[in-house]
Amino acid sequence: MTTLDQQPARAEGRKDPWSQLLVKVGKSQDRQAYHSLFEHFAPQLKYYAMANGMASHADELVQEVFVSIWRKASLYDWQKAAASTWIFTIARNQRIDMLRKMRRTSVEMAVETEDLWQIPGEDDNQPVTSLHRLMSERRVRESLSQLPEDQITVIAKVYMEQKSHQMVADELNIPLGTVKSRVRLALSKLKVILQDQNV
Amino acid sequence: MTRHHPDSLSLMEYSAGNLSEPHALCIRLHLDKCSHCRHQVDTLDSLGAVMMEQQPKVSVSGAMFDDILARIDSSPELKPQATVQPKTSLLQKLLGEDINNLPWKRQLGDVSVLDITEKFPGQNEQVVLQKLVAGGKAPAHTHRGTETTIVLQGMFSDQKGVFNQWDFVVLNEQDEHKPIALGSDDCITLSVLSAPLKLTGTFTRLLNPFIR
Repeated sequence: MTTLDQQPARAEGRKDPWSQLLVKVGKSQDRQAYHSLFEHFAPQLKYYAMANGMASHADELVQEVFVSIWRKASLYDWQKAAASTWIFTIARNQRIDMLRKMRRTSVEMAVETEDLWQIPGEDDNQPVTSLHRLMSERRVRESLSQLPEDQITVIAKVYMEQKSHQMVADELNIPLGTVKSRVRLALSKLKVILQDQNV
Repeated sequence: MTRHHPDSLSLMEYSAGNLSEPHALCIRLHLDKCSHCRHQVDTLDSLGAVMMEQQPKVSVSGAMFDDILARIDSSPELKPQATVQPKTSLLQKLLGEDINNLPWKRQLGDVSVLDITEKFPGQNEQVVLQKLVAGGKAPAHTHRGTETTIVLQGMFSDQKGVFNQWDFVVLNEQDEHKPIALGSDDCITLSVLSAPLKLTGTFTRLLNPFIR
């Protein structure tokens, strides 16, 4: 076991501490940095797995995510996303992939999980895109604390329990329209909805 | 530049990883060409990360980290990846080289279809490619359940407007439309038809509930 670095509790600045650690893993396969990331993110990931009904596979999911982090860390670019966002997308993709494999029949999949949930962008290297991403991350963190509880509850169920808007409505016993309007209000406060569009 | 986008709620379900494979495919194909929606998904992914951070934590055993290191050390294929593998496009992977030379089935007049549902085993939706010959007209029709469509080639118009390549359209029972293919290319779309009925068996291969 490697010793644990002292880590600030909250990610701030353009290059937060977790992103710095992830860069170290990518550049020099730094195992101490890797361990610090594990200490911080593994308990979150385990809850994520359990919340969406994969309790018996929770440890397996955490392991798969960390193996992926190791393999892909050299592709990580802190200017494009914070480590927490990057790790969230890996966790989401691994969860989807595990579920697909569990129910896979003999039929071969025409498209792989990453084909559907990994987004290559043609303008990914433009500075304005990077800046947008970093800004949006800070903004989300700061404005989420100002959202009313009922909006956070709905968003948590969608993200953590993989519930559709309809399922959230059924569970909370409120109309689907109410769920959707709570989400829309939250997204506009979080500035996810940047401008009027065809909805 | 696309002008018709998926709504933010669908992008959120995509970011959360809640969409079926065919619906994720439609969103993914659109995102490929639409930086506007890509920015929204970036922000939504950050929302996912912050939500995860603010939820309770569940402790993991220290032995797990050693297991992970052991796995990394013992498998040569788990060495860090140096570069991104060049990829064929998602559509090519799904449909082959030329979208115009598929085994289309002529349906009515100017319309041909190709059902590709079998490429998505275990999903409760029908996935269909439709082709309207350049300048052709489709007969007026309505939809059962919800139909999510993305334009893969060419463009079409109906009473709601003009839909260009990579535009995104969601139609339901209330929408009757009469599309016309514009421009010099055949208009090819990919549509996902949601089953109007919820079935109880989880992984049962479904009988096709649609008669087209």
